[in-house]
Amino acid sequence: MRKLVWLAAAALAVLGAGAASAQQTPRKGGTIRMTAPYAASFGSLDAHTTPRAQDEIVGKSLNRTLYNWDSAANKLVLELATSVTASADGLVYTYKLRDDAYFHNGRKMTADDIIWSWTRIMDGSKGYPGARYIRLIKGAIAVEKGEAKEISGLKKIDDFTLEVTITDITDPGYYFFDGTTAILPKEEVEKGNFANNPVGLGPFKFKEHIPGSRVVLERFDKFYKPGKPYMDRIIVVLMAEAAARDVAFRNKEIDTSILGPAQYVAYRADPQLSKGILEVAEMFTRSMRMNPAFKPFSDKRVRQAINHAIDTDLIVKRLVKDKAYRATSWLPLSSPSFDKTIKPYAYDPEKAKKLLAEAGYPNGFEFEFTTSQNESWGLPIVEAMIPYLDKVGIKAKPKLIEVTVLTDTLIKGEFQAIISSSLTGPDSLAQLKCFHSKTPRTACNYVAFNNPAFDKLLDDAGQTTDNAKRIDLLRQANNLLYDEAPVWFFNYNKAVLAYQPWIHGLQANPTEITHQYAEDIWVDDKSPVK
Amino acid sequence: MLLVLARRLANVVPTLLAVIALIFLLFSVLPGSFISGMSEEGRTIDPAVMERMRKEMGLDDPLPTRFAKYVAHIAMGDLGTSFRTREPVTKLIGVRVWPSLKLVFAAMTFAVCVGVTLGFFAALKPGSLLDTASMVGAISGLSLSQFWFGLMLMYLFALKLQWLPSFGYGDGGLSHIILPAVALGVGPMALLARTTRAAVLDVLNADFVRTARSKGMSERRVVEWHVLRNALVLVVTIVGLQFGSLMGQAVVVEKLFAWPGVGSLMVDSVFQRDVPAVQGCILMIVLFFLAINTLVDIAYVVIDPRIRYR
Amino acid sequence: MKLPRLRLKGGTSLWIGGGLVTVAIGAAILAPVIALTDPVMGANLMNAEIAPCLEFPFGTDIQGRDIYSRIVYGARISLTVGIVSQICNSLIGVSLGLTAGYWGGWWDDLVSGLTNLMLAIPSLVFALAIMAILGPGLVSLVIALGLTSWSYSCRIARAQVLSLKSQGYVQAATILGYGDLRIMFTQVLPNILGPLIVIATLGMGGAILAEAALSFLGLGIRPPFPSWGSMLSEARDQITTAPWLSVFPGLAIFFTVLGLNLMGDGLRDILDPQSTTRRA
Repeated sequence: MRKLVWLAAAALAVLGAGAASAQQTPRKGGTIRMTAPYAASFGSLDAHTTPRAQDEIVGKSLNRTLYNWDSAANKLVLELATSVTASADGLVYTYKLRDDAYFHNGRKMTADDIIWSWTRIMDGSKGYPGARYIRLIKGAIAVEKGEAKEISGLKKIDDFTLEVTITDITDPGYYFFDGTTAILPKEEVEKGNFANNPVGLGPFKFKEHIPGSRVVLERFDKFYKPGKPYMDRIIVVLMAEAAARDVAFRNKEIDTSILGPAQYVAYRADPQLSKGILEVAEMFTRSMRMNPAFKPFSDKRVRQAINHAIDTDLIVKRLVKDKAYRATSWLPLSSPSFDKTIKPYAYDPEKAKKLLAEAGYPNGFEFEFTTSQNESWGLPIVEAMIPYLDKVGIKAKPKLIEVTVLTDTLIKGEFQAIISSSLTGPDSLAQLKCFHSKTPRTACNYVAFNNPAFDKLLDDAGQTTDNAKRIDLLRQANNLLYDEAPVWFFNYNKAVLAYQPWIHGLQANPTEITHQYAEDIWVDDKSPVK
Repeated sequence: MLLVLARRLANVVPTLLAVIALIFLLFSVLPGSFISGMSEEGRTIDPAVMERMRKEMGLDDPLPTRFAKYVAHIAMGDLGTSFRTREPVTKLIGVRVWPSLKLVFAAMTFAVCVGVTLGFFAALKPGSLLDTASMVGAISGLSLSQFWFGLMLMYLFALKLQWLPSFGYGDGGLSHIILPAVALGVGPMALLARTTRAAVLDVLNADFVRTARSKGMSERRVVEWHVLRNALVLVVTIVGLQFGSLMGQAVVVEKLFAWPGVGSLMVDSVFQRDVPAVQGCILMIVLFFLAINTLVDIAYVVIDPRIRYR
Repeated sequence: MKLPRLRLKGGTSLWIGGGLVTVAIGAAILAPVIALTDPVMGANLMNAEIAPCLEFPFGTDIQGRDIYSRIVYGARISLTVGIVSQICNSLIGVSLGLTAGYWGGWWDDLVSGLTNLMLAIPSLVFALAIMAILGPGLVSLVIALGLTSWSYSCRIARAQVLSLKSQGYVQAATILGYGDLRIMFTQVLPNILGPLIVIATLGMGGAILAEAALSFLGLGIRPPFPSWGSMLSEARDQITTAPWLSVFPGLAIFFTVLGLNLMGDGLRDILDPQSTTRRA
C-alpha cells in the first residue's frame, strides 16, 4: 500500500514533466494571470528582505539565485553558473559563472554582484532572513558581527569565476537556491526605493504593483536562456479567499489557482476542470508535536499510543480528501532517506489502550491541544481527532490560535500539544537537525528532543563526504524518530494547482507549487486575454 | 458655518488623541509578533536574525519610550514604518485610500438611490403591496450576513450569469465595483429605506403638513415643499452615520472581493502583526468617520437653518 | 388616520419576530433532548458530507457530524453571544449614561469623550482588534462584542436623565431625601427601559452577524463547539460541492436575526411610541 502511494507520486511527477514537454511548439506572446493565495497583499519585492512564500511567487520570475530547483529531475541545478568544482575536503567550491546574464537595467552580472549581494545579506544592523544561508560561508559571521567588512570565504578569481569556502560539509545548493539569497544589482538597490522598483536577473522585469491588487511583470528580452521567456506578460493577482478564487477560476478570470481539499474533490469530479490539475508531493510534514514538559508526553509509550489511537488513514482519505500522503516518519516521500520498508503506525485502539496502561495511564488523561484554523493541518483535523482520542480515554481540549501566533507558541514552548506543518526538505540533514539536542528551541527543536543515539547519527552524517553513507545515516535517524514518536505523524502535503487549458509548461515544484519558473510557461491562443 | 467647524474641531481633536493612545496600547499587548509570524510552515527564521529585527523595529524599547516616539512622529505626520514593507505607513495607506473611497461612495450611492426611493414611495402608500414588499426586503437586508450575501452575488452575477467580474480592482472601471458596492451597500440601503419611510410618514402626519393641506395646497406641492425637506434632515443623519462607519465595515467585503482598500490592508496587517500599518489603517478609518460627521453637521445648517449647533 | 394600521403592523412583526426567536431559544434550551447526536463526539468520518436525508435531516458536515444537531446546539452559543454581549453593552451604557447625566461636570465630559471614541472606531474594527489580542474563543467574543457598542444606550440614558432633571423629577426626589443611586435606579431607569430593550434586541441580531463576520475573518469561536457563524464560515469552500453545509447555518442566522429585528420593531411600537423614527 505504502509502496503504491509512493509509486503513484513518482508517476505523477514524471507525468507532470512529460505533459510539459509533449506539447506542440510553444507559442510566443500572451499573458498569464497567476494567483498569489497566501495573503491579501505582498510584503516586499526586495527579495533579500522577505522569506515569505507569497512574495517569492513574484520573486521567482523577477530574480535569480546561484542554484535552482529542477522540478522535473527533482534535484538542485546550477542556474547562474555553468559549472562547479569541489575540493577534495568538500569545503571549497569554484564556480564558472554565466557570462550572458543581464540585469533588467542592461548591465551584465559578474562575480562582484554575487559578492555584493551576499555581503549585503550579512549586514548585522539589518535582519535579512537570508543570513541563515550565507552564514555557511567562511567569514560571513565576522561580517555579521561587524568584525569584518568582507566575507573572507568569497573570492573573486576573475569576473566570471568565484571561489566559495564553506564551513560545513554539505551541498551548498541547498543554501544558495533560496529566494532570499537572490543576486541583486548594487547600483539599483543603493538608489533607494528598490522594493518599488525591483531589478533582477529573472526572465521578467517589473512593470507595476498595485498594492492589495496585483503585480504586473513584462518579458525581459535579454534573458540568458535562448528563445525564452515565451510570454509577454505575467499578472500576479492577489486572492487570499479560496471561495472567491474558486468562482474567479471557473469564470476564467484567472489562469492558476491553488486548491484546498474541498475544491480538489470538486475539480477532480468535473469533466472539464479535471483536465487542468497539477499535483505534487510537497516537502511539508504535518504533525502534532507533543511537549515532553507535559508529563504524560515524556513517556514514549504514550506518544506511540496516540499514534496508534487515531485512524490517520481515514482522516487523510475522508477529511483531507486524499490531498495528502499519509506520513510514516519525519522526512517526506521525495527524500532519498525515506525508508519505504517502514509501515506507518497502524490504527489500533486496543494497542493504544495497552500502551497507555503500561505507561501508567489506564484511564487516560486530559491535555490542551493548540491549533490554528488551517483547513489542512488545523482545526478540522483536531476536531476529527477528538473522538478517536476520547475512545482511548484521552480528553483533548482544543485551544485555537492564529497562524501568526503559531511560531511564537512553538518557540516559547507554551503548549502541551500543537499541530502544525513543517518544511522537511529538500535538505534532509538540515531538517532532521531540528531534533538534535544541540539545536535550541528557538531555532526549531520545539519539543526539546534529546536522544544521544540520534545526535550521533546526525553528527556522523554531517562529517562524511560520502553521499550514499550520508543518505543511509539519515535514513537510520529518520527511523529512530519513527520509533521515538516525538510527534503524531499525520501527512505529507500534496499540493494541487488548477490551471486553465491554455496554460502549458507549469512545473510540479515540490518545494512550493506556486513557485514557477515562468520562462518555461507558455500560453496558447485559446486564452481569453488578448 | 465657521463656528460650527470650530466647535466640531474642538470635539474632534481629543477624540483623535484618545484613539491614538487606545490603538497604541491595544496593539502593544497583541500576542505573537511580526517577526516570528514571518516564519511560516517551518520556513523558520534564525534566532539571531529575529533579535536583530526586533532591535531594528524598536520593539525592545520600553513601552513609554515607544509611545512617546509614536506620538511625536504622528505629530509630524509620520505614522511610522511598516514592518512588512519597510516603507512609511503613510505611503502604504496612501495608495489604498482611493480604492477605499471609491468603494464606499459607490456603496453609499447605491444605498441612497435605492433605499431613499423605496422608502419614500412606500410611505406615500402605506400598507400597499409596494410598502409591504420593500419593508420585508429591508428587514431581510438587515438580517443578512455580509460575506454570505457577497458570495451569493459572486456566484449569481459572475459565475452563473457571467455579467460581471467576480473580484478585484481591474483597471478601476465600473464593472469591478458593482458587486462589492452592492454587498457593502445593502445594509445601509435597508436602513435608509426604513428610515426614509418612517420619516416621511412622520412628516405627513405632522401638524404643519395638515395645516398646509387644509389651506388647500395640492398634495404634490405638500410632498415637494414640506415633506421632502423635513424628511431630508433625518435621512442626512442616517446617511452620515452610515457613511462614516462604512470604511470600517468594508473590511469583510474588501477581503472577500480582493479589493485593495484600507480595510483589507488592515486585516492583512493584523494577521501579519504589522502593527504600525494596523494603527495607521485604524487612524485612517477614524479620520474618515470624523470628517464625514463634520460634513454632516455642516449639511444640517445648510438644509435647515433653524438647526443650530447643539 | 394612518396610525391604527401602523399599530397593527407593529403587532404582526412582534408576533412573527417573537415566534422566530422563541423557536431559537427553544432549540437552545432543549438541545440535549431534540438533538439526534452529540454535536462533537457524534462525528463519524464514514458519514462525511451526506446530503439531507431521513437519517440526517440537514445532512452531515465534513467530519460526518449531523448538521441538524450542531445547529440546535449552535443556538446555545450564538444566542449566548447575542444575549450576554448585549447585557454587557446595556450595563456599561446605562451606568455610564445615567451617572454622566446625573452628576454632570468632568465625569460627563469624560463619558461623552469615551462615547465619541467608541462611535469613531467602527465596532467591527474594534472587535477585530480585541479578538486578535485575546485570541479566538467564546469569552473573548463576548468581551469583544460586549465592550464595543454601548454608545447608543449610553446616549439614551444620558438624554433621559437630563430631560427628567429639567422636568423637576430629580429635584423632587432629592428633596424627599433619596440618595443618588436610588434616584437613578428607581426614578430614571424605569423610564428608559423601553428604548433600552429595543436597542438590546436589535443589538443581539447585530452581535450574531458580527460573530459570523469575525469567523469569516478568522477570529471566531473556540472549537469544537459549533456556533452558526463558524459553521457558515467553514462551509464556504464547499458551497459548490456540499451546499447544505452552508444553507442551514445560513438560514438559522437569517431567521434568528430577522426574528430579533422584527421583535425589536414591534417592541419599539409598544414601548417607545414617540420615537418611531429613530433606529439604533
